[in-house]
Amino acid sequence: MKEDEMIICRCEEVSYEELKTTAAKYKCSARELKLRTRAGMGYCGGRSCRTMVDKIAATSANDRNRTCVSLKYQPPIRPISFKNLGG
Amino acid sequence: MDNAIIIGAGPAGLTAAVTCAEKGLDVVVIDEYMRAGGRLLGQLYEEPNGNWWNGIKESNKLYEKAVDLGVNFHLNTAVNNIENSNGIWTIYTERETFHTPSLLLATGAAEAPVPVPGWTLPGVMSVGAAQVMTNVHRVKPGERGVIIGVNVLSAAIAMELQLAGVEVASLTLPKTNQVTQDAGKPKEVLDSLLHVSHMAPSPFVRYGSKLMKNDFMKKLGVNFFPKKGVKMWDIPIQLRKAVTKIYGEDEVEGVTLATINADGEVVSGSEEHIPVDFVCIAGGLYPLAELAAVAGCPFYLVEELGGYVPLHNERMESPLEGLYVAGNITGIEGAKVAAAQGRTAGLSMAHHAGMDDLDGEIKNSIKRTEQTRDNAHIQFHPEIETGRKKILQQWDAYQSNKERSVVSNSRGGIT
Repeated sequence: MKEDEMIICRCEEVSYEELKTTAAKYKCSARELKLRTRAGMGYCGGRSCRTMVDKIAATSANDRNRTCVSLKYQPPIRPISFKNLGG
Repeated sequence: MDNAIIIGAGPAGLTAAVTCAEKGLDVVVIDEYMRAGGRLLGQLYEEPNGNWWNGIKESNKLYEKAVDLGVNFHLNTAVNNIENSNGIWTIYTERETFHTPSLLLATGAAEAPVPVPGWTLPGVMSVGAAQVMTNVHRVKPGERGVIIGVNVLSAAIAMELQLAGVEVASLTLPKTNQVTQDAGKPKEVLDSLLHVSHMAPSPFVRYGSKLMKNDFMKKLGVNFFPKKGVKMWDIPIQLRKAVTKIYGEDEVEGVTLATINADGEVVSGSEEHIPVDFVCIAGGLYPLAELAAVAGCPFYLVEELGGYVPLHNERMESPLEGLYVAGNITGIEGAKVAAAQGRTAGLSMAHHAGMDDLDGEIKNSIKRTEQTRDNAHIQFHPEIETGRKKILQQWDAYQSNKERSVVSNSRGGIT
């Protein structure tokens, strides 16, 4: 397996190459990179790939907003059963 | 309704729980793991005075003390959301919902991943997972493994694995890419290791650290760093090698190891295969601050503290009423600093609950935290003090901004 083919976001199967080329093309924020590639939008809620998506975006983005978390956290932050979610 | 709720039963959370309970508060501690202790559970190392620090024993001591004081524990319980309304925090878990005016987030840190081709194969795990398997569950992660990522944490865990009879074939670097960045560059890694070189039993490393105080010597040091590596506790530390691939059919069978230059570039044709049955990836720790983010707490990115940190002051208060933070959520440091912060947070929470005359104790506790930091055997980040100053500056800036906007709002109200 080549480096470019390695999977960064396991839930959405987004490769290193896809993230790298998207970040280079749009010079976008981590949030935009997430929305363009779906990396971090799978069922784990980005718990595995968040820091990697953040870093790849930061290598091409022009500036970083230091005052708020770059990729938003949404509840529930841990898996809960559908029954308990419903009430 | 409980007087105080603490999320996280690590050194910070347990110490805060004990402190609150001693001040007469009803305390509930919630943790997603089935045992109290947090990351403390995995720790086992020899201190400079020759004593062994056994994290399991330290955890049990704190836990029993808390139980004796009447602290109510909900282990194996993950918090999935927190909310504030009218000064009362609501804490949602799968089973129960809790309420309190005073909530401490002592959720610790999480491990950053290191992507290496083949890292999705079964048998690849974070170095912290290998530590928990070995020290807490007493299960060998494998017979022979490689650790990718050289830092304070991975070096300590390599030694622990070896104590448990697990062979560590190499402690080496990841190939540098946009994610691994400096963690794949021998020069940078050596730089970050220099401040912990006093720990190294090898005279080579100790001597080397003195030699390499200036950058020129550092570069020389990396260039001359033996390709085979140096041995620490009999484990080869290979700063001039990087794993370019983890291979195997259905599970880990080995890694491809290549020689790299001082900037981390692979020397072509230098690849060799190292058979192993497990691989640990060590990308370092970052503050686990999900709940603070969900609560709407303001943050600031401080690299020296390990990432995005919720704003807080020395009393461990966040800008949100009744919300406190302590331990690694405020920056990556050792268990003793976390415990000291936990004590301060506990006192602040008791103060919030209406206990008077705690100012002196809080001040002492803040001072003790600083002393603990100064005396720390190892520091996860050499510039930790700079990071602490940055976050306090941000706190002050935030507070004065808030005051200004309150003033302008009230003016607006009058006219």
